[in-house]
Amino acid sequence: MTGVQIINALAVLLIITSLMVVETRRPHLSAHLYSLQSFVLVLIFLCLAVFMKATPLYIWSITALITKVILVPYLIIKALEKVGDPGEPGALLSPASSLLLAALFIGLAFLIVTPFHMQAILKLKPALAVSIAHFLLGLLCILTRRNALKQILGYCLMENGSHLTLAFMAYNAPETVEIGILTDAIFAVVIMSVIAISLFRVLGTLDTDKLTLLKG
Amino acid sequence: MQVSGNLLVWLLVIPFVVSLLAFWARTLGAGARRFLEAVHLIGITLLLVLTLWVIKLVLINGSLLALSGWFYADKLAAVFVLVIGLMGFLNGLYSIGYMRHDLVTGEVDRKGLSTYYGFFHLFLFTMIFTVLSNNIALMWVGVEATTLGSAFLVGLYGHKSSLEAAWKYVLICSVGVAFALYGTILVYSNSFSVVQNAHDSMLWTEIVKHARLLDPMVMKLAFVFILIGFGTKAGLFPMHAWLPDAHSEAPSPVSSLLSGVLLKCALFAIIRYYIVVGKAIGSAFPSTLLLIFGVLSIAFAAFFIFSQRDIKRMLAYSSVENVGIIATGLGLGGPLGIFAALFHAINHSIAKSLMFCTSGNILIKYGTRDLDVIKGMLKVAPFTAFLLGSGALAVAGSPPFNVFISELLTVTAGLNSGYLWLMILCLLFLLVVFAAFLRLIGEAVFGSPPENVTRGDVSFITILPIFLLFILMFGLGVYIPSPLSDLLKGAADIVLSGL
Repeated sequence: MTGVQIINALAVLLIITSLMVVETRRPHLSAHLYSLQSFVLVLIFLCLAVFMKATPLYIWSITALITKVILVPYLIIKALEKVGDPGEPGALLSPASSLLLAALFIGLAFLIVTPFHMQAILKLKPALAVSIAHFLLGLLCILTRRNALKQILGYCLMENGSHLTLAFMAYNAPETVEIGILTDAIFAVVIMSVIAISLFRVLGTLDTDKLTLLKG
Repeated sequence: MQVSGNLLVWLLVIPFVVSLLAFWARTLGAGARRFLEAVHLIGITLLLVLTLWVIKLVLINGSLLALSGWFYADKLAAVFVLVIGLMGFLNGLYSIGYMRHDLVTGEVDRKGLSTYYGFFHLFLFTMIFTVLSNNIALMWVGVEATTLGSAFLVGLYGHKSSLEAAWKYVLICSVGVAFALYGTILVYSNSFSVVQNAHDSMLWTEIVKHARLLDPMVMKLAFVFILIGFGTKAGLFPMHAWLPDAHSEAPSPVSSLLSGVLLKCALFAIIRYYIVVGKAIGSAFPSTLLLIFGVLSIAFAAFFIFSQRDIKRMLAYSSVENVGIIATGLGLGGPLGIFAALFHAINHSIAKSLMFCTSGNILIKYGTRDLDVIKGMLKVAPFTAFLLGSGALAVAGSPPFNVFISELLTVTAGLNSGYLWLMILCLLFLLVVFAAFLRLIGEAVFGSPPENVTRGDVSFITILPIFLLFILMFGLGVYIPSPLSDLLKGAADIVLSGL
């Protein structure tokens, strides 16, 4: 297999793991699966670093390993321990329609990347499309899941998607930029978790459908 | 000529340090309140002084660069720095009295007070960071950080409703702003293929210089991502869903900052891209988009303003309307349209801060935001009633106040560019808004007050900042000082010509 094939294959694996994160009923398991999928992301960073000679991505894979494979899942699991893991009250979509939508998103993502003809990313267009599809899958998770912590994981999926796009298109950017974006991502997870836990304390549930005080 | 701008670094350092001190103050025990108020007051005063100083230097030198180009202030950024510094100071001043009241009534404890002041300054820091960032990725980081910095302020009281608002706020805005990251990456990779230097191709000043060489298709796509992303944060319809909740549930001075200042910072980010995209593919595409979102925001918000019975929610929807007016002005373009939009950004922040602070005083007085209860203010607190009345007239767009001038300029710009029917439509929506605020005056100012409300205005310390806002609101309605008009004209030039 050539480098490009490996990267594209890993990108497909990324979609599969992210569907698993979305479809798993138990938030606890989702968090572990998210850790797994972040590990796939790290592997892609490493491959890009080797095959595209993109040396900054070696550092990215280390920071992603620490923050996304370890830290963020740890934070979510800690939050889940504080509230107990009540499981999900049920989703808006059946797994089959989620899969169908996922396929649609991938199609849409391919459409979005067609007008790009920057030399550097030409061969990796499928992988780039996957990263955008991945972003949309995260959005789907937020829109169709009612568990607050599951929605946070959805945000993390979106974040992984955009991080991958960043790796394809802007790996040579100054390191400060990656640090800034990662810092935001971690604080977002921390803050969302704290608010979710406080919500659980006053509402007794993580079901976001119960958030109905403010309307109109 | 560009002068090294150490001053810009100080403008960032001061709110950050004050924020850290305020967080640290939770360990102080009984003396915490006094320490917090002192540090806070020093912080906002220094901020105001530095703001005015930076603006003076920008007016003299044209622009300031700091830290090898990472931070940059031109006249456009200076307009927004002015809004942050001035409103940070006045709302900060108002915070002192307002939070004292919350402390006395037990709404917050001493720790809560330290959280409040800590995040207040952190929030100011993130907004200044956003408007001073020359690096487009860091500008994105800044916008996202503003959400994170203000989320706990929205949820400060820990009630069900405020936590619900905070949750929606942080989730919807983070998701929305994530779209803007795509726009940012697209612009960067595009400019990298032209500039061929990783550091430079992220700098807005460099991207603008090479804008004509950028790929038109990619830039179009990027602008759509940017407008959806930062538009969410700016509160443009239909991405505004979080706004009425967050702006009404936050403590009143924070509502002011969210409505008066934060929305403008997001607009600032959109304007930066509007300039680049306009140079790359002509302004027709971005202008049309802004015009559509702008007019839709005005139309939609007008009816929601009319139907609100919660005074702070009403004001929040009015912010959607005003952001719509600014976007419309930008979309109309031309020197007059841009000037009007930027001037309206300043005017709205003043009038809206006045209204939110006054609504804070009403909340202290009546203990509710319900317009069915708030009646007869003229008898209860005459001076506050006067301020509320003039604020409502101003927000409704009536002379002799500042908002009237910039709305008039926006409509004139529209007529000049041949949008007769669109402007008539906008005026009809503004009429709905006007009626809503007239009704607010009729009900809240006049009428007979509920019996359990004690007479007399709230303390001097909560009235003073509102009175200062009133002077600004009235003053700018009758006269624009020449440094301000120079600044606005210079900023409009930048929007039209690039650098």
